[in-house]
Amino acid sequence: MCVITAAAEPAFLKVSNLLSTARSFSAIAIAGIGVLMIIITGGIDLSIGSVYGLAGVVSTYCCSLFGMPIWISMILGVLAGAIFGALNGLMVVYCKLPPFIATLGTMQIARGLCTILTQGYPVSNLPGGYMFLGQGKFLGIPMAIWCMAMIAVLFAVFLNKTVTGRRIFAMGGNAESTRISGINIKALIILVYTLGAALGSFAGIITASKLGVGQPTAGNGFEMDAIAAVVIGGASLSGGEGSVLGTIIGAAIIGVLRNALVLLRVDSYWQTLIMGVVIIAAVTADQLRKSGKA
Amino acid sequence: MKKTLCVLLALVLLLFCACSASTKTAEPAGTTAASAGETAAKSNKDITIAVIGQQTGNVVFLPAQAGAEAAGKELGIKVDWQSPIRAEAELQNEIMNNLIDLGVDGIAISCTTGDALKDVINRAVDSGIKVSCYDVDSPESKRLFYAGTENYKAGYTCGEYMVKLFKDAGLDKVRVAQLEGIPGANDIEARKKGFADAIKGTNIEVVYSYPCNDDVDKAIEGVEAYTRASGDEIDAWFMAGGWPYCVAPDAMPEVNAWKLANPNHKVVTVDIFPDTTPAFFKMGVLDVAVGQNFHEMGYQSVKTLYDLVQGKALNAPVDQTIGAPFINTGVQIATSEDYKEVMGIQ
Repeated sequence: MCVITAAAEPAFLKVSNLLSTARSFSAIAIAGIGVLMIIITGGIDLSIGSVYGLAGVVSTYCCSLFGMPIWISMILGVLAGAIFGALNGLMVVYCKLPPFIATLGTMQIARGLCTILTQGYPVSNLPGGYMFLGQGKFLGIPMAIWCMAMIAVLFAVFLNKTVTGRRIFAMGGNAESTRISGINIKALIILVYTLGAALGSFAGIITASKLGVGQPTAGNGFEMDAIAAVVIGGASLSGGEGSVLGTIIGAAIIGVLRNALVLLRVDSYWQTLIMGVVIIAAVTADQLRKSGKA
Repeated sequence: MKKTLCVLLALVLLLFCACSASTKTAEPAGTTAASAGETAAKSNKDITIAVIGQQTGNVVFLPAQAGAEAAGKELGIKVDWQSPIRAEAELQNEIMNNLIDLGVDGIAISCTTGDALKDVINRAVDSGIKVSCYDVDSPESKRLFYAGTENYKAGYTCGEYMVKLFKDAGLDKVRVAQLEGIPGANDIEARKKGFADAIKGTNIEVVYSYPCNDDVDKAIEGVEAYTRASGDEIDAWFMAGGWPYCVAPDAMPEVNAWKLANPNHKVVTVDIFPDTTPAFFKMGVLDVAVGQNFHEMGYQSVKTLYDLVQGKALNAPVDQTIGAPFINTGVQIATSEDYKEVMGIQ
């Protein structure tokens, strides 16, 4: 895809374009890593898009209207999303709700809260420093890309090198065996949903920082991007399989594709169809590669 | 091994980008690093003007696209129409960044949220691209001009007609329900303010406002549900945007029945859709429509941006309210009495 786009439109290879594209998909990647952990356990989280929006609203609200320090506002934004994640986990564990249903409900509640808090109006008049995370650079690289890289390393180590990480995979492979072997799967479920929502919230704050505005409608449909990134990256929706690197690549495919369609001046009306075709092709190729190995 | 290679490749790319980004100065827009004077000599076939709508599915942008492409054809330049799948500032922001890197000569954008797009508009302007807004403005940005409806006046006109419609109704109080779009959007806020100012001091009052976020389905659902629940508590609807009128009248049975049940129930809307609005007038379920000219917005945006790209002076007066040169694309007013004549229907 990159080769074809670069051949057809040299502007693709401009440093500013590559960095801009990477910055665009970094939010998808960060939220995708959160969703990855949930999908590895065999669950799903449809509320990611709504907590993404809620975190942006809460953090900009705290900063703009209550005059709180930027870093505290951002932490509160992440906490607001994490609370919803914990709620999802609790409902799945104690109310025995299927994750699809639990997160469908919280998706609506979180979105509703966005609208109630803002009365539908975007939150603006933010201090300049708020925009550093979304618009600032370090060593010429946008901060959003640094955040994506750091989170990727952190969670790759967490999932692959820690006991808890291995238990998450084990649970996804066979939840009952994991439970019988003495592992507290209830705590694990609550943990992954909380972490997942926290990462989705952080992605929302990065976007609010990039735009300089907390929008109640931010993240509408974003959960599909995050889930698509995870699935394209090779994770299995039935659980037990997936990787942080795969999720980053999945997010990159989505980001590069969107960039390519604009650079190649593809008719806007065709772009969604082409996105769908490429997603199916990418996952099919991965499935064939896996079955070839087996 | 493969994973290690991928990570190493990513690190190398990152390092390359970091070195390039920190040593290079900002790249000017356009296919060559030309000065402003040299840009004036650019051949028409090398000029690209991008026009960005709010959402692929929003029908009001179809005439804007047609107008933009007509201007492009007349001038012999490339017009690149871009529109996100969802009316989200983040998606428009992405498109803008892509167009900046592509080095287009001009961009005309209808902003979903003006504030959220001001930084990327400024980035485009700073890189040498001529940028304008149409339909919905970004007043805090460095856009060179705004082409669109004088929205305050459009709303005020709706208010004036509402006053006229109820002049002889003999009601103590006229209760108006209001349909709006994306809260905070400059165009809608200006129309609401205009309407509110026109009805000030009269017995007309807005008692309810419903934001549909520019979604036609949501707009219809909202007005139908409210009319069903509270139809006897309102006397009129003011639609600050014509979303419910993009479709056939059959889509709003509740509102239509409410309107026809009482001659003192009135409906005033912004926007005229040539294909669907006449049916509403014919059925007697619409009183006044104040139409915008989206075709002209697209057309004038491209023509004016082209002039700027070619180094010509901007020929539009500065509007004090908007704070920038303003190209007024005008309104068309149709009532239930004269809609055929106004809309050119036999």
